[in-house]
Amino acid sequence: MTSSNAISPLSTPLSLIAEVTHRCPLHCLYCSNPLEMQRAETELSTEDWRRVFHQAAQMGVLHLHLTGGEPLARRDLPELIRAGRDAGLYVNMITSGVGMTEERLATLVESGLEHLQLSFQDLEETSANHIAGTRAHAIKLALVPVLKRFHLAFTINLVVHRMNLDRLAEFIALAEDLHPDRLEIAHVQYYGWALKNRSLLMPTQEQVERSIPIVEAAKERLKGKIHVEAVFPDYFGSFPKACVGGWGRQMMLIDPAGQALPCHSAAIIPGMTFDNVRDHDLAWIWQSSSAFQRFRGDDWMSPTCLSCPRKERDFGGCRCQAFLMTGDPNAIDPVCSLSPHHDLLKDLRISDPEVLPIWRD
Amino acid sequence: MELNSIPRLAPGCRLHPTESVLLIPEGTLNLTGPTREILRMLDGKRNVTDVVTDLLQQFEGADAVEVQRDVLGLLDRLQQRGVVRT
Ligand code: SF4
Ligand code: SF4
Repeated sequence: MTSSNAISPLSTPLSLIAEVTHRCPLHCLYCSNPLEMQRAETELSTEDWRRVFHQAAQMGVLHLHLTGGEPLARRDLPELIRAGRDAGLYVNMITSGVGMTEERLATLVESGLEHLQLSFQDLEETSANHIAGTRAHAIKLALVPVLKRFHLAFTINLVVHRMNLDRLAEFIALAEDLHPDRLEIAHVQYYGWALKNRSLLMPTQEQVERSIPIVEAAKERLKGKIHVEAVFPDYFGSFPKACVGGWGRQMMLIDPAGQALPCHSAAIIPGMTFDNVRDHDLAWIWQSSSAFQRFRGDDWMSPTCLSCPRKERDFGGCRCQAFLMTGDPNAIDPVCSLSPHHDLLKDLRISDPEVLPIWRD
Repeated sequence: MELNSIPRLAPGCRLHPTESVLLIPEGTLNLTGPTREILRMLDGKRNVTDVVTDLLQQFEGADAVEVQRDVLGLLDRLQQRGVVRT
């Protein structure tokens, strides 16, 4: 099969996602200390990250996303931010807000933090049986006025799913009161989830359709005040979305121990081996690591994708989704109407809004 | 955006030191034509008229009315996108 148009095999990465730790203060109480220590011990050092950021900038990466776990669990976070800026990167940070104080924030901003993203699972007082969530929620709300005192961009990220999507208008209104610079509406990602969880959390087609005009209206109304970005799930479409800019095309993720991944859930795909920034230069990993090479270009594609003009736009869709749903990581993303497994998606398009309890399975 | 507005880049938005790119939260905007030059002038002191005057000095022979309209249009668009504030 000849390709209609070959996909350029190598591009320049734009973003580096640095998972600086898997530790999270929210779970501290339940985590045994030795485990914590062991985990912390495998983490890259400040010096390792400094080298990685420098190598990333040399390759043309523009954005650094500090994430975790909770990045605040790293005591050297100000140094990491400074290292990112010194390398010439734009520094974003994603936080639960737990562990943040005005003093710490001042140090982070002074070190060069440019954008902070706070995720909300819900914008309502959560029920008493979600105590941990409620605590985090209160902390986040208290943090917002503090954030506003600093010169940095502030994003609220609303995580939506089947159980809260019907209250989206209300959510947006509440987020609006917190005056973020940006508002992201993100659907739960299901790649790591078993099907039973998916049926619990995945919104119905009707829900998604109802939510679209709400988002459009908010975008229009908030123009010039809050920049609204929304990502809708592709389950209901006939064609998949591009895997974050294409596999091994735009981003690299480095986990706390230094493994370089082309996708946050790439480890679920069998046969993947990840190279480590302790052993290799970032540019070498980008160019030659088998994990990055695996679904790059179009050699791996099924004949259907290979001869399809859309492959330059969607790169054959999501590899993790293809694997999870068909057992074959090279399969056409089942979201695609040309996939022989497309019917699997139809089964997921539950129109009955009744929520199945997770234990009923 | 008015002629006496004082526009500046929003928090978390800055020009790439060498490229014609505006770095913004989670992304970049590619800047075309004199956009980079215009954004570079937004120092929190200059108003739109000052920016237009500077540009007219740099681009001799440019039509003042046109430049003014283009600058206002550009800044309006960037304001709507949330990367410029007044
Ligand atoms: S393969 Fe799928 S899960 Fe992985 S980054 Fe691409 S779209 Fe996301
Ligand atoms: S056949 Fe492949 S390339 Fe074409 S739209 Fe479907 S998934 Fe995309």
